[in-house]
This record gives sequence, structure tokens and C-alpha cells, in this order.
Amino acid sequence: MSAGRPRETRIPLAEAPPPGRVRMIRVGAHRIALFRVDGKFHALADRCPHRGAPLCSRGRVVTAIEVRDGEPAIGPQDALVRCPWHKWDFEIATGRCAVHPRLRVRRYTVEVDDGELVVSLSKAP
Amino acid sequence: MLIDSDVHVGYETLLDLCDYLDPPTRELVIHSGTNGLGMPTYPWYHPTGWLRGDTYDREATEVGAQLPGQNLERVRANLLDASDVTYAILTPDEAAAFSVLPNAELAARLCSGYNNWLLERYLEEEPRVRGLLVVPPQHPEAAAREIRRLGPRDEFVGVFLPGGARVPYGNPVHEPLWRACEELALPVAVHTHFEGVGIAGPVTAAGYPDHYVEYHTLCGAGMWGHFVSILCHGVFERHPDTRVMMMEGGLVPFVGLLWRLETNWRACRSEIPYCRRPPSEYVLEHVRFTTQPLEEPADERLLLPAIEGIAPWETLCYASDYPHWDFDEPEQTLRRFPAEWRDAVAHGNAMSFFRLPTPVEA
Repeated sequence: MSAGRPRETRIPLAEAPPPGRVRMIRVGAHRIALFRVDGKFHALADRCPHRGAPLCSRGRVVTAIEVRDGEPAIGPQDALVRCPWHKWDFEIATGRCAVHPRLRVRRYTVEVDDGELVVSLSKAP
Repeated sequence: MLIDSDVHVGYETLLDLCDYLDPPTRELVIHSGTNGLGMPTYPWYHPTGWLRGDTYDREATEVGAQLPGQNLERVRANLLDASDVTYAILTPDEAAAFSVLPNAELAARLCSGYNNWLLERYLEEEPRVRGLLVVPPQHPEAAAREIRRLGPRDEFVGVFLPGGARVPYGNPVHEPLWRACEELALPVAVHTHFEGVGIAGPVTAAGYPDHYVEYHTLCGAGMWGHFVSILCHGVFERHPDTRVMMMEGGLVPFVGLLWRLETNWRACRSEIPYCRRPPSEYVLEHVRFTTQPLEEPADERLLLPAIEGIAPWETLCYASDYPHWDFDEPEQTLRRFPAEWRDAVAHGNAMSFFRLPTPVEA
């Protein structure tokens, strides 16, 4: 571990992003995006694995359009982040690319501790 | 074993259909205009002839005749016997023009007459041939009725739609047609024909080509439009048992189109939620392509890498396009593919696509 480089950052829960929004933070040299989906917090790298775009800081949180019973329907609310460059969608909760089976955004661990969100550089399970 | 997926047959003149038409349509066919009903046709003329020289009776050429001397005997001698064809899939010639007539009711009646004619003159006479139903896509309800009328007969193994059309075939207006096809488990063959003719849209958005050679280079464009439309509208999601064959639209262009569509789908899938999976997945499962006219690069080594994107070992079906001028002879065509693909291309892929019965050995 490099000395002096922080491995985690804490922010007050009150400053956590509401659903549908992103909150950018830094942990050392890493630009990390915080999201809230269905009441749970997620942290993703700000880098699109497709072509390296600033996925989260410049992208948009969106809701999927699906088809149910033959009709267009809304998917899970604000569950995707859409890349600003090529508009590929990624599932915030898993980092998985919705349109490419082999791509995944790097995810970081987020925990709630004593009224704060703790984001660490360790990979999320 | 060899299956030829694209063999054109046709009447000599529209008058040949008279015995197979309902009385009012017969009356129109005989007395329209000054010399009977004419079909819209290409504004370009092939400079050296549309047909292979030995497939029709040159001496008997008469004004208005489409395929003079073209008959089952010639098809047997020139193709079925000569190339030892196990099954030939019969596609229309001039009758494809019914699909681009502005009068949709008339088109529907002519289609029925042609299908009756085909059944009696070819399909009931020769066990090695199977037919595609000609239907009026400009009247989808009538098309569905025709599919339900004759589709249950074993002699018909699919539905023919020309590349020239007023509306791309994935558009929901065609839903009755797709429903009928799925109901009867019949595939649809989209074949380049009559682009820029009748009510069909122009060959390309560039405007009208000046020469036949331009037309024939670009004629797959209509099919490419249908291919993309069918995928984007989720036809295969709504009708999971539906199969589509792209006939005579080339192979290499489909590779590029599919790559481009797949890229666009990734960004635009919220616009087309009915297309739930990457388009290439539907293509591999539901779409087949015919070989003719197989592209001929100056360096033959370029061909196979250029078509691998459509997994030809699974999707490609041999077709001759008999009796047209750009006929592809089977042996030379199949030799251009690796040995391990040949059985699939020669018969395996078409057998399962058209759900043909295993032939009984003589």
C-alpha cells in the first residue's frame, strides 16, 4: 500500500445522493460516483469500460424501458447509468453493461457507519 | 443432396392465369387497357438479356411474354436433372409485381390466381419442387387470408415478399401477415424484386439509377431495409417461431449492416424495446441467407473473412437463381466454401429452414 494515499473516504449520510442523482467523490486518485438505487448505496468508477468516457460524472441516471405483456413498460426506477459518449447503459447495482455481456464497470465498497457513508477502494463483493 | 432455394418460374403472359382467377379479375386481365392488363415493370433493360440463354424459347418470343417457353419440362432438364437437385424452392418472376400494384384488392386476387396456377402447373406435377406463396403485402389482411388458404398444403413451404415495398416489413401494419405465418409455421422469404417499381419506394435515397447495372448493384437495398425493420420491430420476439430468409441481397452488405445495427442498438435500444436482445442473436436464430449472387472479389481469399460475421456455416443456403442471367452453378459455388461448411450450405440449413421432409431414396 502506498503511504499517504487514503484508502477510504467518509461523507455524512445527509450529503448522500438522492435516487436518480450522482454524487462524485475522490478516494486518493480515484474518481468515484455514488448512487442510491432502491434505498441502497453503490459506488462505481467514473470510467466507461467501453471507450474510457467519464461514465458517471458526465453520464445520466436513467430508467430502462422494457416490454411487459407485449407493451413498453418502465423497468426498475433510476437503476442505470448511461454513458455520455456512446449511450451504453450500465446497471448501477452490479456494474454490468446492459448491452455488452463482457463489460462491467468497476465497483467499490460502500458501507453505512455511524451516520456516514464509507467508500473504500476495496472491490465491492 | 442439394436444395436450391431460389428457382424462378413464371407464366408466359398474364393471360395464362385466366383459368385460375375469379371471373371479375379474369375480365380485367383480358380487357384492361388496349391489350389486356399489364404489370408495372423495371424502367431499366438488361443490355444482354435477363435470362440464361437456354432457359426459354427464343424463337417463340412474343410481345408481352415474360418467360416464353419456360415450363416444368425445361426446369427439369436444365436444373432438377442436370444438377441432381433434391428440392427446388420455386419463386415468382413477374408475379412478384402483384405486390407492388397500387390496387391492393386486385393484387390479392391476382396472387390467389397465381398460387392456384403454381400449384397445378408445377407443385402437384413434380415432387422435387416446393412453392412460396405470393401474397399482397400492401393488403396485409388479404395476405393473411391467402396464407391461411393455401399455407396448410405441404406443397407450399413459405411466403414470398419482394424487396420493393411501400412500407418496410417489420412495420406493425404487416402484423396480420406475420401472425398467419407463425400460425402455420411458414417462413418468409424476402427477395430482391421490383425496387423502385409500382408503389415501391425508390431503390435508394440517392434518386433513380440511370442504368440497369446500377440498379442490379443496388437492388439489395430494399431487402436491407426490411432486414433492419424486421429486427428493430421485434418481429422475432412477438413470433418466436418465425423464420426469415434474405434471398439475393448479397452477403457482405448484411455483415456491415448487422455490425452497424448492433452498435446503434446499444445506444438506442430504449427506442425499440421490442428488440430485447442484440440483433445478431435474432439473426443467428431466425434469419437465413441465400448464396446467389455470391460476391466475387478479385482476390478470392477475401470472400470468407468478409462473410463470417453472419456465421454462414449456420445461415447460408445454396441458391442458383435459375433461370436468370447471373445463375450460380452449384458445384462451382459450393467449392468456394470450406469442405466442413458444404453440407450445411448445400442442404442442411435449407432443410431445417423450410422444414422439408427427408427425401425417399428412389
